[in-house]
Amino acid sequence: MNKISENEINVFTDAIGHYFRQISTEPAIIKAAFLASDEAPPPLYDYTGAISLSGDYQGTIYFSARRILIRHLLISMQEPSQTEQDFLDAVGEIANTLAGNARQYFGEYMHMSVPVCTTGKLAESIRLTRTHPFVIMIKWRQYHASLVIDMEQVH
Amino acid sequence: MKLMIVDDSGIIRNRITRLAGTLSSLRIDVVGQAKNGREAIDLFATSQPDIVTMDLTMPEMDGVECTRRLVDMCPDVRILVVSALSDKPTALKALKNGASGFLYKPFNDRQLIDAIEELVS
Repeated sequence: MNKISENEINVFTDAIGHYFRQISTEPAIIKAAFLASDEAPPPLYDYTGAISLSGDYQGTIYFSARRILIRHLLISMQEPSQTEQDFLDAVGEIANTLAGNARQYFGEYMHMSVPVCTTGKLAESIRLTRTHPFVIMIKWRQYHASLVIDMEQVH
Repeated sequence: MKLMIVDDSGIIRNRITRLAGTLSSLRIDVVGQAKNGREAIDLFATSQPDIVTMDLTMPEMDGVECTRRLVDMCPDVRILVVSALSDKPTALKALKNGASGFLYKPFNDRQLIDAIEELVS
């Protein structure tokens, strides 16, 4: 996966669209999709959930969102509890769901770790696998999130 | 009908608990919640559920192994796998190890209710 193909990008944009349609009645909008660089690093927000990959692929898939997006998502799920742990749990579950859905395309040998979740400051210490990971910018309602796809195929 | 929920996400466990309570056609009591396969094995003996919802990607012990062990302990238990892993071989592996059904995440409320109703019918 040295170059991310259009099909591979669509796997993730479809998964994002499907996720928000299932959880709420309002669709998510893909605001932008680009290769990160030193000038445009992957945007990480208040909460980040990360899934490490092994097997046929290596790297990490991150879902990162502003606190207010997660808060509204929890309300959509009728989740009354809104503790710090719930926010971390939510980003981890979303990262796990989006990565898990992508296995339909990438196959069962894209092994996934359990989610590792962090808050804003800690997410800055993330070490990337690719020089230019792929970033999908998401807007749901008026709130922002990102999906960072930092993965490559193992030969 | 006694239900045990196995998922490492507390949000998912709460959501399934809430939705199970809305089933008017069935009386479902949530008798236990576990956040990994090992906890589920321990809890199973004391709570004796009729049905189980089972995540697959969990720490300590994954859902396929947990399903296999629960079915060994009690062949009559019905297990609904609720997972984001959407490749076909994984679903087949869960079914071969004793799961009775498979529901993909993300699910909406109706899909979960339908899946539980189908599991107990």
